[in-house]
Amino acid sequence: MDFDEITRILEMMREHELSEFELERDNVKLRLRKQGSGHGTVAPAYPPPAHLPVPAPASAGTAAAPAAAAGPPGEDTELAIVKSPIVGTFYRASEPAAKPFAEVGDVVKKGQVLCIIEAMKLMNEINAEIDGEVVTVYVENGHAVQFGERLFAIRPA
Amino acid sequence: MNLSQPLPPEFGEALARAADRLGAFAREIVWYADVSSTNDEAAALAEGGAAEGTVVAAYAQSAGRGRQGRVWASPAGAGLYVSTVLRPPPDAVSMLTIAAGVAVAEGVQAAAGLRVDLKWPNDVYVGPRKLAGVLAEASAVRDIQYVILGFGINVMPAAYPPEIAARATSLEAELGRPVDRGLLLAECLAALARRYGDLRDGRGDVVCGVWRMRAAASLGRRVRWAAPGAPIDGTADDIDATGALIVRTDAGTIRVTSGEVVWM
Repeated sequence: MDFDEITRILEMMREHELSEFELERDNVKLRLRKQGSGHGTVAPAYPPPAHLPVPAPASAGTAAAPAAAAGPPGEDTELAIVKSPIVGTFYRASEPAAKPFAEVGDVVKKGQVLCIIEAMKLMNEINAEIDGEVVTVYVENGHAVQFGERLFAIRPA
Repeated sequence: MNLSQPLPPEFGEALARAADRLGAFAREIVWYADVSSTNDEAAALAEGGAAEGTVVAAYAQSAGRGRQGRVWASPAGAGLYVSTVLRPPPDAVSMLTIAAGVAVAEGVQAAAGLRVDLKWPNDVYVGPRKLAGVLAEASAVRDIQYVILGFGINVMPAAYPPEIAARATSLEAELGRPVDRGLLLAECLAALARRYGDLRDGRGDVVCGVWRMRAAASLGRRVRWAAPGAPIDGTADDIDATGALIVRTDAGTIRVTSGEVVWM
């Protein structure tokens, strides 16, 4: 294993937003772990590139969105980003006519349901890892989400 | 208020006879004559640390649910409503609902001798009428902590709400004779233990194979998938190795893993 190979692994981890990587072969054991992956607040290691559309469209109309998307990096680290653990369809409420589980400005408690992601007709309730205020909802109801895609930004209480 | 009661003898005896095929299932079982929702009760038990295989069963549910808040009519004595606590390894999660459909179909056939059809991923039909349904709900904090796998089987004809009466059927309506509910519970759980075991042991291909045989009546038929944006029409061709529904459309083949699929 050489330096180039490790660099490639690091790039792959970044690309797929992996928090940990382990490789064992030929008496070499490599374990890479992104700092901050062990606790609730995960901040992106780098700000999103300016030329890419931010997943929260303007129609989401959140006053707090700029803080997460375009604010100074220092502010970014304050937010806990809730990401999708699976590929599926994002639902903000328990049923079509119901009130969303969590709206921008809501104060949520650890363990509270934030949304449901449905995959293979398995309804996955995604729970808050921390107490805090919902500042951004990145995805619209009924839309598809990818593994690791950002769902919510929460400012820890 | 939900008050659990002693397990009726017909259930206890059937479960005891099937004990060597149940694996971890029904080592703990909580039984209700009437409960709001077996899935909600099982989730509360799971939150409290209940072991994998814990079962909640009832004769009636006052707030039986399907997906997205739809009502699952659960009148007293007309059905069997069962939920189980699972703590699956990540690899076994995606195929869980496929395995659940297979298990209910196998359990019904073993207990009542009725051959049923599956519609992706796990609706159980006799011809055009729905006999049983599955509601699988997971709770995740970063990773999935537990899955509640619930199923409801219509056992006796009942006064269903008019909007579903024409689309629902029951075991006794199909067979014209009484059905042993204890045996039905035991056989469904034994089948679930077997198919869940297949997934845990990396034999998803076996589960897919059995599912295909039992879904033969619905494969090859026209479906409409409520894709984000505009719906897409096509033909339900098959499932792939992950359990995703493969739909052939004019524009090519798509792989459906979530969202609503309507059989036309």
